[in-house]
Amino acid sequence: MADWNELSEALADYTISCNENERLRKMQRDWSRVLHFVCSDTAQNFSMDVDRGEIVSVRESHVGVPDIVVTATSETFCDMFWGDLNPVQKYLRGEIIVKGSQEDVMRLDAISYVIWPDS
Amino acid sequence: MTGEDSAEPTITLRRSVGSATATATSAGLAFAAIDYLGVVSILAYAPGATAAFAILIGGLVVILVSAIFSELNGLYPTAAGIRLYLGRAIGNRTALSVTFTYMTTVVLVIAADAFLIGAAVRHVLNEPAVLAYVWIAVLLGIALAANLRGVRLAGWVQTVVTYTVLAGTSVLSVVALFHVGGAFKRPLDLFGGGTFSGIQAVAFALFLYAAFEWVTTTAEEARSPKVITRALFIAPALIWIVASVFALALSHLVGFSTLHGSAYPQLLLGHAALGTVGELWMLALTVMTALNTFNGGFLVASRFIYAAAREGNLPRQFARLNMNAVPWLAVTTLAGVSAATAAVVFATGEWLLLVSVGAAIECAIYAVGSLCLLILRSRVDRKRPFKMIAGRPLAVFGVVLFSLLFVATAFADPKNSRHFSVAPFTVIAILGSISTAYVLLVVPKLQRAAAARSAAARPRRRPTRPSPKDSDSNQVLGE
Repeated sequence: MADWNELSEALADYTISCNENERLRKMQRDWSRVLHFVCSDTAQNFSMDVDRGEIVSVRESHVGVPDIVVTATSETFCDMFWGDLNPVQKYLRGEIIVKGSQEDVMRLDAISYVIWPDS
Repeated sequence: MTGEDSAEPTITLRRSVGSATATATSAGLAFAAIDYLGVVSILAYAPGATAAFAILIGGLVVILVSAIFSELNGLYPTAAGIRLYLGRAIGNRTALSVTFTYMTTVVLVIAADAFLIGAAVRHVLNEPAVLAYVWIAVLLGIALAANLRGVRLAGWVQTVVTYTVLAGTSVLSVVALFHVGGAFKRPLDLFGGGTFSGIQAVAFALFLYAAFEWVTTTAEEARSPKVITRALFIAPALIWIVASVFALALSHLVGFSTLHGSAYPQLLLGHAALGTVGELWMLALTVMTALNTFNGGFLVASRFIYAAAREGNLPRQFARLNMNAVPWLAVTTLAGVSAATAAVVFATGEWLLLVSVGAAIECAIYAVGSLCLLILRSRVDRKRPFKMIAGRPLAVFGVVLFSLLFVATAFADPKNSRHFSVAPFTVIAILGSISTAYVLLVVPKLQRAAAARSAAARPRRRPTRPSPKDSDSNQVLGE
């Protein structure tokens, strides 16, 4: 199990990787969403606010009404935000559960794919 | 069949799909232009009003499908749908092989709709036959361009389009039934003069409802699992009403000999009922069906291809995204294969073969869905938002019934109900063999290459932390 310190470290790296990737920012220019994350093993919740492709805030609780809700174990989240796993594989095995439109689910994976094409 | 309240808390999304939209999505995915031809295929085995009887029985059978997919969807509410049910029930390789074959029905439906709409437009404009293919290319080109730009039909547009097509077809059919010298004055005429061949007629009737279960791919954006369950039960009822009145009107006003050689029976009915106005009415509705087919079909299939490529089951090029975050190679390939399929149909005139192949594949998928339910009832002991009463015996019944209906359609010849044909089975066998060979021979190589690439590209990024055991031993050593 990963604690909040580990998660926030992963999220900080993920935020930098996303926001500094020009191709991703251009691709996601019309994508503004509120994401809620639920750790199924630790009951830890956190939120991410994306504004026109830029991650503008990450908070340690659920803030606002979500467009997407992602549920996984804290370890899976850590690995995902460090780019050490392929989210699609976990999703197709039912280990990452997403509530949201098909388009948003794909966009979420596209972020990982663009930042880490080899993941 | 019964519903049970889910123990999981309901999460409210900013934008979520309600019952009306989900029902429209389900009905819209099922009711494509090829359904008008599907009715002609039923009429080949069930003349006159017996066609409506076959559609009714088909609808009753579909209730079983609705219940099976409702339970499976409640268990795994995900866009991965049948891929995940199968993976959990039978294994990943089989799941992949079946899903690849299943996705070919999407290509067939897109190709069929492009062909049928092209043929209908050409007919109304009274153009030379060869121009039909120009219309096909134009339609697919527009669909491709819209998809590549990331243009999506808004949910409300999709809902309006679906209900307009269903209502428009019903109204014209009822008008046709009340036509001068109409059916209700001589009701026995409705029974026609041919022989009712029950199994094939019901199997083709099932085709009218085919793809309604794809609404499960929207499970992740549904307000609750009950929304999908409602859609799975209401959409077939709507299709039943529309298809029944259309079949009655068609068999009453247009002779079967005229119908079975035509790619646009709906236009013939429109013209017989209301002249040019009726023909244009049905042409408008036919074109509208393309909005749902192209929007839903391209979306479902291209995202499946993207996910398969990301998972390492298709060449990674299929996951490449353009600047609109659209998997451009997947979408372009779909359009290209659909255009080629439509060209083959155009050249051979074998459009009824598409109906047989589509109907048979759907029956096979329903049999597989029943099998998944049967296995997952034993393996997964989890509370379901929807649980069928007598689920196990009904699932066994489903496996047997849909297998039988698969055989009935896979060897049917809708052009001549007295003959059998191996053509549909041959097409399915080729598609299935290609899928299976690909999964067994190519996928392992792709996955090995992906694993090697991933390992060679970079080391793990996540910093390693001392495990609690390490900390304890360090403390001991320090002491």
